[in-house]
This record gives sequence, structure tokens and C-alpha cells, in this order.
Amino acid sequence: MRRIWAALTTTAFTAAALTGCGLGSGDTKNSDSVASAAATGEVKGKVSLQTWALKPKFTDYMQGVIDGFKKKYPGVEVEWLDQPGEGYSDKVLSQAAAGTLPDVVNLPPDFALPLARKDLLLDVAKADPKLAEEYVAGGVDAYRFVGQQGTFGYPWYLNTDVNYWNSELLTKYGLDPKKPPTSLDELIAQARVMKEKSGGQTYLMSRKPGIGDLYNAGVKIMSDDGRTFTFNTPEAAALLDKYRDAFKDGLLPKDVLTNTYAGNSKLFNAGTAAWTTAGANHITSLAVDNPTLAPKVVPSPALDTPPLYVQGVSIPKSTKNPAAAVALARWVTNAENQAAFAHLTSIFPSTKASAGDPFFSKSDGTNAGDAKVIAFASLAKAKLIQPVQVDDAMSTVINQQIALAISGDASSKQALDTAVEQCNRLLKG
Amino acid sequence: MTHRRWFTPWLLAGPAIVWLAVFNLWPAVNTVILSFTNAKPLGGGRFTGLENYGRLLDDEQLADALLNSIVFMLVCLPLLTVLPLLLALLVQRKIPGITFFRTAFYTPVIASAVVVAVVWGWVLDDRGLVNGLLRQTGLAGSPVSFLTDRWLLLFSAIALTVWKGLGYYMVIYLSALGNVPRELHEAAAVDGAGSVRRFWHITLPGVRPTMILISALISVSSLRVFSELYVLSNGQGGPGGRDMSVVMLIQMYSRGFNGHLGYASALSLLLFLVTLGPMLFLMRLNRKAA
Repeated sequence: MRRIWAALTTTAFTAAALTGCGLGSGDTKNSDSVASAAATGEVKGKVSLQTWALKPKFTDYMQGVIDGFKKKYPGVEVEWLDQPGEGYSDKVLSQAAAGTLPDVVNLPPDFALPLARKDLLLDVAKADPKLAEEYVAGGVDAYRFVGQQGTFGYPWYLNTDVNYWNSELLTKYGLDPKKPPTSLDELIAQARVMKEKSGGQTYLMSRKPGIGDLYNAGVKIMSDDGRTFTFNTPEAAALLDKYRDAFKDGLLPKDVLTNTYAGNSKLFNAGTAAWTTAGANHITSLAVDNPTLAPKVVPSPALDTPPLYVQGVSIPKSTKNPAAAVALARWVTNAENQAAFAHLTSIFPSTKASAGDPFFSKSDGTNAGDAKVIAFASLAKAKLIQPVQVDDAMSTVINQQIALAISGDASSKQALDTAVEQCNRLLKG
Repeated sequence: MTHRRWFTPWLLAGPAIVWLAVFNLWPAVNTVILSFTNAKPLGGGRFTGLENYGRLLDDEQLADALLNSIVFMLVCLPLLTVLPLLLALLVQRKIPGITFFRTAFYTPVIASAVVVAVVWGWVLDDRGLVNGLLRQTGLAGSPVSFLTDRWLLLFSAIALTVWKGLGYYMVIYLSALGNVPRELHEAAAVDGAGSVRRFWHITLPGVRPTMILISALISVSSLRVFSELYVLSNGQGGPGGRDMSVVMLIQMYSRGFNGHLGYASALSLLLFLVTLGPMLFLMRLNRKAA
């Protein structure tokens, strides 16, 4: 019996050693050869496309895009996979580990970075030299990573944040919805008025600050080489001090300490908080969740630099059909198809040719139309505020330490130092 | 004539052995190996010696998480060992309508832990049912921070776990109580023993092995608490992450593209060793009792 156990254990250890701790080592195909095959190859054969949570709302749109592609390139066959919203990162991770990523895959920049680091993604700029001419700089830059040579995705659609105010609550508590706060100090001052006049039943502020707020306070989040976090500065501590004082005075609900970002929009949608920040389509979705509130919402530009949110499609280097993959990625993200997509929902195209489309710059007179125009105008100064290096674990650590500072259980400086130390440790691995 | 082939038993046991090797032995061995590396989900990882174990000593969040898990176990263990027994004694009686109560006590067991925790989150929220009642009755002027105070959040999760676990352990006790000979109770009653005395001298010794089994189950599940604390704290583990359990830490470090599989494996092994402690103690207790 002992010999059997010894044999089993030896087999297990040997298998572990042979498989490199049970983990794959990634595909190391030469980027130049794949790019050249993409540029010169014929567009035909089978190609797969993976999108993220577009079914069933945008099934017809995507099917139309695919049909158009097949019409342009007869002889090409497209397999469309749409993954559910929840657990998409796990799905992509398992596909990448197993070497089964589809030929064209929807990856936001923070998903693309770890794959690019493992040399799994094609440098699309090599396969498509006109990329930078056709897509807006912010979108292309989102797929260029410090320390990695290349552009690892076609930017698809863009979005940013807009401020939304509940005009009914503002008016009820003596505030002017036509003059919403334009700075943090004004926001805190108006939050105090609302708290006092509502007897603490309604809030103007209902979220704790995050990386975006630190950035807008002039704090450098990361070093230029992307190797260390640097947001434990006196300016950052001063910002957290302001929030701590506001929290102590009851200007924010207690559960901001544990609520994730969604908590803020939930309170807004329920009519408990009078301010939220969200994408350009918030009023449209609010019209479904709370139809009586939707018409009372007034949009305004973000308080400082608005965040730029980018979605894109990448091509794994392991694709067996690089020519069709690049052609499909270009097709899905071209100006015409992006404009058609943006007409269906409040997102914005990443193509330069779409900038002149009056659909985005002229409101139809509704508050949802105003929000769209504000968001489109904001895109010009929007920035990728959150470094793509910030992963889930780091976000959790930053949230925890900011909550600790605001609760008053640790000084702002102490909490920021801990957050930076833990994030740097996570970054180094 | 019967042939006794040497491999017949191996043939029969083979599927089970393969199953155990692939799904139990191999993951356990792999966890030990990974704990000595800096492996990531997307490949590679090099040998880093005892670095991950050294990091355990230096991790303040781990100290909090261990304390939380141990407090969780120390409070849940007596409550979930004793209360279900008392409940079982109550519903064991044969009176009309008792089946309804048995079913009612068991209902929380059927519900998903996550769904139950979400509902409790609403109930204990600043604007939830409990705070509303406390304010209406004048017992509290401002909302009680059930979900944002370090210890209140932990004890809210304990209350949830106890409420949800009562029915499950009650059913185990009911079957154990059915095995306690009725004649002993009758004889003791004839000799003048009251109900308390019969409980101490007949019922309790009769269910002692079950009690030890239940204690072992509770100590393991309490040390591995996850869903209750995770959902009640919105996955944040409370301000400063001071309400995280060890399993929440493992989840935080292992998830995503940049998951720190090496450190998460070292944490898993630590949790395994911590879990062994109460298990060995209870096994010893069982042997003594026997």
C-alpha cells in the first residue's frame, strides 16, 4: 500500500513539474508573420467573433453587421458568440489559458493588458498601418500599454460620465437645478443645505471618492513607467479629509463605506439621493426603472476632467485566419457600423469620421438628448483616468482604505500609505 | 472452478481512485506546489521558496481575517450546537400542527446563502426594516451601523449563519433523538427523575456522538465562512477590509487576470492547518467520550 501511495505522489509531482505548475505558457507566434499574413492574406474561411452582453438587445444590429461582412467578403463564414455580462473576465481568462480565444474578441483595455503582457495579442497597428489615422487618439492610446510595444486592439465605442441631478429634490430643498455645483466645495455646501432642510432624509452626495476624484484633485496616480502607485500625496489626503468631515456631518449615508459604486446610482434611482454620475444613456434606462423620476432629471457636465471609457476588439496572435480576423475587426469598428450602433443606444463612435455627425451634437430637446450632447462634448477632454494596471484586488484595497479614512478610523495619510503599499505589492506580484 | 485474479479489487476500486486522484489529491498537491511559486493564471510562475509564507506573517489583513474567522467559529459553535438541540426537543413532540413548525424551521436551509444574505442586507441597511423599527420605537435616534461597523457587521453575519443553520442541525438532532431508547426515559420517570434530570442524564449522553459530529461540521464551515460576509459587505469586507474572512482574502488574491495564485495557495494551506486544530480536538473529545 505504501508503495502505491509513493507512486501516486511521485506521479503527481512529476506531472506538476512537467506542466509548469499546471499552467500554460502562452502562444509565442511571431507578431510580424501574423501581421503580414493579415495584411496580405485573402479574406475567406471561418472566423469567430466574441461580443460581451449584446444579446438579446442588439441581436438584430450585430446580425446586420455580420451579414454585411459576409456580403462584402463572399466565402467567409462568421461564428458569433455572445457572452453574458457576469463573469466575462473569467470566461476570457479561461479561454486565454486554454488557447481557445475567438479570432476577434471584445476586450476592454484592462482585459487586454494582461493578455498583451503574455504576448497573446496581435499588434493590430502592424497589420493595419492606417489605424491611427482613422480612430480617435484617446481610443487608440487606450490599447497602447507602458512597457509593451504595439497597439493591441481596435477601439470600438466610447463613453464618459455625465452628472445627473434630481431637479424635484433640489427645488424642494431650496437649491437651484439650473445652477448645479461645479466643484467639490460647492457640492459639499449644497449637500449641507439638503441635509439640513430634509432633516437628513435625502442626500446630495452618496458615494465615496475613488481614483477619479484623486486624479481630479491633481494627484498623480501612478509613476510614468507604470511600476509604482504614487497617490499617497498631501493633496490626496486633503481630499479625503474633506470627505471625512462631510461624512461626520451626516452629508453622506453611512453605507457609502461598504457600498460599491453602483450603490450611488441605486439611491439616485430610488429618489433618496439627488446626484449621481453615469454614462450618457442613464436617463433612458431610468425611464424603465423609475418612469416618474426620469423626466425630472437634469444632466450637466462632469465636475472636472471626465473619465474616458473605451471598449475595443482585439485579435489573438494564435488566430488561424488573421486576414479575415483583421477584416472583421475593422468592419465591426468602422465609422458606418459604429454610427449605426450609436444611433441605437447612447454610446459614441471611436472613428474620426463620425465626429461631424450632427446626431451627437444636437439635442432632440429631451433631457436624455441633452445628456447625449453633454457626453459627446465631454469626450473631447475626457481622459483614461484609472490606470489599466488597476485590477479587481487593487480596486478592493483602494476602496477599503478610502472607506477607512472617511469613517475616521484611520488618518487619510495612513490609509493612503497602506493602499499604495498594498497595491504596489500586488502590482509586483 | 473460481479464478482469483489479483487485479479484480483494483478494477473495482479503480474509478474511485482515479476520481480521488484527479479531483482531490492532485489539486491538493498542486496547491502545495503553487504556494512556493509566484504563479499567475496566465502562465508560468517561478519558484520563490518561502516568500509567500514569509508574507503571511507580514499581512495585517490576514491577522484581522484570522481573528474574524476564529470569532465567527467561537460564537457559532455553541449557538449552533445547543439551539438546534433545544429546537429538536421542541418539535419532537407529537402534537397537532407540529409538522408545520418543523418545515418552517427548515425552510431557511433550502434558500441560497447568497439570496438570504442579500435579503438580510436590505433588512439591516441604514434604511432597512430593523433600523426603521428601531427609529419608530425610539430605541435609536440615528441608524445603527449594522453593515458598516467592524464588529456589528461580523455579528450580523453570525446571526444570519445561526438563523440559516438552525433547521439543518435540528434535523440531524431529530434523527439522533429518535435513537435514544424510550424505555430509559420511562424508567427514569418511574424512579422520579424530572425532565431536566432526564435531559442531562439520558438525552445528552444519547446524542453526544451527534453533538460532536455537529461541532466538527460547524467549526469547519465557520472557519471557511464566505458568502454571508461577502454579500453583507458588498464584497468590500467592511471599511479597511477589517471584516474579511480568510476565504475572502483567498478569493481577493486569486481572482482575475493578475491573480496571485502562489500567495492564495499559501493562504489556503494556512486555513487548512487552522481548520485541523478544532477537528483534532473534537476527535480527541470523541475518543475520550467513547
